[in-house]
Amino acid sequence: MRSIRQRLTLLVLSGVVLVWAYSLYSSYRQAVHEVEEWDETRVEQAAHALLLLDARDLPVFAGASLNVSDDDGDNDASMRLLFEVTGADGRVLAASPGLSSLGLPAFPAGAAGPLRADDTKWHVYVLGDAARGRIVRVFEQRTHRSELSTQVAQRIARPLVLALPVLAVLVWVAIGSSLTPLRTLSRAIEARSPDSLETIEVKGVPDEVHPLVTALNALLQRLRRSFDRERAFTGDAAHELKTPLAAIKVQAQLALTARDPERQRRAMQRVVEAVDRSTHLADQLLALARLEEATPLPDAQVDLADVARACIADQHVHADCKQMSLTLRADGPCVVRAPPALMRLLLDNLVDNAIKYGHVQGRIEIATWEDADTTCLQVRDDGPGVAEADLSRLHDRFFRGEGHLEQGNGLGLSIVARIVARLGGKLDYTAGMDGKGLGVRIGLPSPMPS
Amino acid sequence: MRVLLVEDDRLIGSGVEDGLTEAGMTVDWAHDGRQAQLALETTPYDLVVLDLGLPRMSGTELLDWIRKRRDHTPVLVMTARDTVADRVSGLSAGADDYLGKPFDLMELVARCRALVRRAQGRSTDTIEYGDLLVDPERLTVTRGTERIALTSRECALLVELLANQGRPLSRTRLQDSLYGWNEEIESNAIEVHVSNLRKKLGAHLIRTIRGVGYVMEKAP
Repeated sequence: MRSIRQRLTLLVLSGVVLVWAYSLYSSYRQAVHEVEEWDETRVEQAAHALLLLDARDLPVFAGASLNVSDDDGDNDASMRLLFEVTGADGRVLAASPGLSSLGLPAFPAGAAGPLRADDTKWHVYVLGDAARGRIVRVFEQRTHRSELSTQVAQRIARPLVLALPVLAVLVWVAIGSSLTPLRTLSRAIEARSPDSLETIEVKGVPDEVHPLVTALNALLQRLRRSFDRERAFTGDAAHELKTPLAAIKVQAQLALTARDPERQRRAMQRVVEAVDRSTHLADQLLALARLEEATPLPDAQVDLADVARACIADQHVHADCKQMSLTLRADGPCVVRAPPALMRLLLDNLVDNAIKYGHVQGRIEIATWEDADTTCLQVRDDGPGVAEADLSRLHDRFFRGEGHLEQGNGLGLSIVARIVARLGGKLDYTAGMDGKGLGVRIGLPSPMPS
Repeated sequence: MRVLLVEDDRLIGSGVEDGLTEAGMTVDWAHDGRQAQLALETTPYDLVVLDLGLPRMSGTELLDWIRKRRDHTPVLVMTARDTVADRVSGLSAGADDYLGKPFDLMELVARCRALVRRAQGRSTDTIEYGDLLVDPERLTVTRGTERIALTSRECALLVELLANQGRPLSRTRLQDSLYGWNEEIESNAIEVHVSNLRKKLGAHLIRTIRGVGYVMEKAP
């Protein structure tokens, strides 16, 4: 059952019915017991009376039946008592008319108990008086007793049965009105505009719903922060894309209008350069977007030294342009659990940065080694390094260090940081080579030996 | 007309530098705010073309610094952040004009001219002087029905002298306004330009003041 209201109503009502049923049962038992006691007392009294009656009066008495109406005068509930008085010799002194026709068996003196004859249950009470030589037997039809008990039980049950529907309605309404704050809350949430991430008002919310609203608010806050971050990223990305576009436009227009052919040629060259730059930017943005996706990484293992060798083979052209040396220091295979393409992207970005910001004729060293439970990859250079204050912002998206004219897009280290985070690794900035420059050290968990 | 370009992006900067040079302006290119400060402290400029996203010192800070030293050189701001709010805050910070990236090179040139013209108190781009009509944009001088073509340097020199009518200008001052930082200057460059102008427009137009420089008398 999904509705709290239905569930609560049902639970409360069944609880009430259970308690009522028990109290009805015990009242009935009590009533039956009382009725029996009362009856027995009366039968005993009647027997005592018969014992004391004169022998002359007995036949007269026998003529009138011992019919007694109960308190409220219901005829149908009238009692039927039959009696028989015998002398010491066994002669019947007096008997209720019709008793002999019932053929009830004789009952020994001084006993009492149930008796069955012709499908009718009787209660017999026998009283003997040795002094007067008289035995009195009083018979009471049992059905009369149970009828009486049933009536008592009905009297008790009737108001309860009538009250049950009233109670059901009351419970239903009470629970419904207790749930009003929930409905108000859901209406308030329904009425919100889809892009409203404002927190929900906690005031007036019942204590039971409070944790739910608080949790919802925490979720909304997280959502808002993540939306804000995304919005800022989109804004920054658009801004970054506009810069190479502006360069392309200016250079293309210059190529169209310049009178000097050398200037024209230069402008066209720069158009190509700017297109390359925006392509690179788009690639980086795409890489970053893919890394943000929650899809699990393919399970693969790769040797970092292999990745480094492949990277050096491709990047040494760029390093040569600035007469930089690009070397690898690796003791042996350093296997990590990561997709090879991802490790390559990471290393390309690090080496690209080192070349871009390093000095002409500078040095760049890639190193791989294995520690106790981590596999390390480090790229160091002897370039200008990064100011202490800028280190913490280094992998912010679009952050560019100051004081250089290199055309970076500020995404390289964000991509590196993101990859490391996805692989469950650790990224540290260390000193570069010969006490200058920048070192980036990445520690990745070593794969379990299988 | 000497322009200080402040732009950190190499590709945009070189395009704007070449574009403005093609339009006959003398361009100095500062790559960051500090360099721009240094240039502004040592050289008089007719115009500053300023990118807001600069390293070391932001364009807004630089603009603030320029206005605080009561320098009224017109400033044209160009930036990729060109929402209305950005424009308003840029203009209220003391920019004279605002151009969003990517921009049209021709529009940039036209706006630069308009800003300088406004600063010099002219409402049209052509300058009238006696029977001469100088059009710096087309690099021509019209006298009656005759059209005389000038080189961009000659035109720049003429405009500089016209902007300072009656005031003698030294050779160094003229050199500064005609040549940027990195341009090689022949020692007699100004004399050559003056002599060319005299040949094209008449010998008495520009007067030499010995030991001082050159002057064009106030228009009759």
